[in-house]
Amino acid sequence: MQKFSNSSANGRVYLDNNATTPHSPALMSRWHELIDIFGNPSSIHQDSRLPKTILRETKQKIAELLGCSPLEIIFNSGASEANSSVLKAVFYSADKLRNEYLISQVEHPSVIKTAMYLQSQGAIIHYIPVSRNGEIDIDFIKEKLSAKTALVSVMYANNETGTIFPVNEISQLAHSVGALMHSDCVQTLGKLILNFQELNVDYATFSAHKFYALSGTGFCYVRKSAKWIPLIHGGGQERSRRGGTENIIGIAALNIVLEQLRNTEVKVNEMKRLRDLLENLISQNISDIQVIAQKAKRLCNTSSLIVGEIDGETLLMTLDLQGFSVSTGAACSSGNPEPSPVLLAMGLTRAEAQSSLRVSLGWETTEIQVRQFVQALTETVHKLREINLSEKKSVYGHR
Amino acid sequence: MGIDKINSAEKSKGRVLVAMSGGVDSSVAAALLVDQGYEVIGATMQVWDYSECDITEGHGTCCSSIDVDDARSVADKINIPFYVLNCEAKFKASVIDPFVNAYLAGETPLPCVNCNTYLKFDHLIKKMNELECDFLATGHYAQVVHDDKGLAQIQTSIDNWKDQTYFLFTIDPHIVSRLLFPIGHLKKPEVRRIAEEKGLVVAKKKDSTGICFVGNKGYDQFIKEQVSQKILDLKKGKIKRYPGGEIMSDHEGIHLYTIGQSKGLGMTYHEKLFVLKIDAEDNTVWVGEEKDLYVAEVDVIETRWLSEVTDGAEYDVKIRYQHKASRAIATKTSRGIKLKFAEPQRAVAPGQAAVFYQNQKLMGGGWITLK
Repeated sequence: MQKFSNSSANGRVYLDNNATTPHSPALMSRWHELIDIFGNPSSIHQDSRLPKTILRETKQKIAELLGCSPLEIIFNSGASEANSSVLKAVFYSADKLRNEYLISQVEHPSVIKTAMYLQSQGAIIHYIPVSRNGEIDIDFIKEKLSAKTALVSVMYANNETGTIFPVNEISQLAHSVGALMHSDCVQTLGKLILNFQELNVDYATFSAHKFYALSGTGFCYVRKSAKWIPLIHGGGQERSRRGGTENIIGIAALNIVLEQLRNTEVKVNEMKRLRDLLENLISQNISDIQVIAQKAKRLCNTSSLIVGEIDGETLLMTLDLQGFSVSTGAACSSGNPEPSPVLLAMGLTRAEAQSSLRVSLGWETTEIQVRQFVQALTETVHKLREINLSEKKSVYGHR
Repeated sequence: MGIDKINSAEKSKGRVLVAMSGGVDSSVAAALLVDQGYEVIGATMQVWDYSECDITEGHGTCCSSIDVDDARSVADKINIPFYVLNCEAKFKASVIDPFVNAYLAGETPLPCVNCNTYLKFDHLIKKMNELECDFLATGHYAQVVHDDKGLAQIQTSIDNWKDQTYFLFTIDPHIVSRLLFPIGHLKKPEVRRIAEEKGLVVAKKKDSTGICFVGNKGYDQFIKEQVSQKILDLKKGKIKRYPGGEIMSDHEGIHLYTIGQSKGLGMTYHEKLFVLKIDAEDNTVWVGEEKDLYVAEVDVIETRWLSEVTDGAEYDVKIRYQHKASRAIATKTSRGIKLKFAEPQRAVAPGQAAVFYQNQKLMGGGWITLK
């Protein structure tokens, strides 16, 4: 069988941390311990004690981090499941007169596609516009909110552009008409200092693989007073809110990484320094390149670039061949790049969206890597522009 | 792969972009290039959105999502970088729409040529340049040979049965020197043997037959899904007996008929009848005896040449893919070529290509028209 390892010492530069993060070195060093965890937490015998403890302690740590009760945390497979669960839970439990949903246009597909499904079941969906500068249309929210609104769903930070939305302000508006508030917080942990209680949301969703733990592990915050209907019915796990034996190794890994989230200020500041360096170097070296929503409140690690006259797909492939991992918008399961719906929703043209490149830094990114990347990007962009130019000449000259 | 791989390029025979469909031919093509010492990059063109398709659909044909997985698996096995290129919009505009429109105009389209013209040997040529590749390779059964002057030319595969040069006549002669057809000197059983020997998952995969995007549903069903019933209703008309014009029955649309067809005409008659001609202007499908299917003269338009043809010279000409090339004299006309076959040809269909060969060399070709 193929060796399943691609992370260490492969010489590549990983700048796609909004898609997923490499595993924390803390997990690497404790991997044997993790793989040795065994037992079903729902069993009665002594072999279930360790997994039970892991569940309890991890939930406690999350509760401390968010400033909530452990009872308000539901473990699951990640934010896509959680987002889908939240919308469906609200839809199937809400008062019949509350049938309207306000969803930002730039939400993750797990929110947008669930909303489209609910629409087919009779819900009315209002998509909140987001401007090219990354500002959400608060007036639109005020205009559409009413006693008919069941839920408002606005992500804390956008995965593609890094723009941060005023979730607490929107929560207040939602609550003022008796609606519930959900925020997809998947891009927050490890990238900013989160004062979660200030957000005042009823539901929030998180994925462990976005902050150096394992994929297939996530959790959902559900305020005690908020309605809930499980997406998966099963054997009573998670107080009957999510069926299925818990992903105990993933949760234990999360537990280990949560320790590191207690003190992220240094890491956040360093990522911001490197990201700003990256953007400065790029603007010095490459003409006709823009950073989307550069002036907006943004995540410290994300640069969404529009490289004029360059096909993002080709740029990505060329950089990949040189050992740099970046993305053109959201990672897609088929590996088949489509122009980003988020950028299109923000009012960028199709051509601009097709010229996009997302660079997202992580805890392990170094200044040398950033400089190497900018050099490769500069050379590649110049070369591709030359090829484009000579092709245009040959089209008009010879044919 | 990555930085190391690229650095090793200096030692390689050159960098190749190989179009991988997920079938056995292009998989073996890629594997052979690796063996020959090229630095190989694999790419699959995603031409159709399969995300909402039944998972059984498209299996074993060209370019379904299962095929993308297979291509990726082969790329893993032979350890080359691999990418999926999004070509859906381009494929729809330059292959699917013309395919549907041709049927609606009473013609028998040849989508594989358009795919080669506008995607494989245009879009991928662009990618080849952008990725600084020296060559573009495909799994076509065809060969590139060099003449006495060192000029690169396309020649038929040694596998007569599989030869695919018929689909390559629109290739720009300037790019031939940069093309590689790594399996063109092999016969199909040999290609399969190599795939098996190398442990490629596609070794036993059945050959793609028919048109990749149509799948198992049949082209009439495909057209029904692509076009509104209102438009299809406009294609209804009469089946008439050639040459007298006697009305035989009504039909449900000219797109359901192909020249030479004798089954499924939607009527019963005491003798076997064949579709002889489809008149798109009044939607008449003309049927008649088999002898009337034969014609000796064929008009060819929109010609593309890899090598110049000589006015009045005789060539081997194929008028459909599975056609044994026949001798014909080519006379230049204002809009292309008039062919005069030594032997009259059966079921010459507009929308198909007439492709010219001299010995085994691909000269070029054009589109058959009855107008």
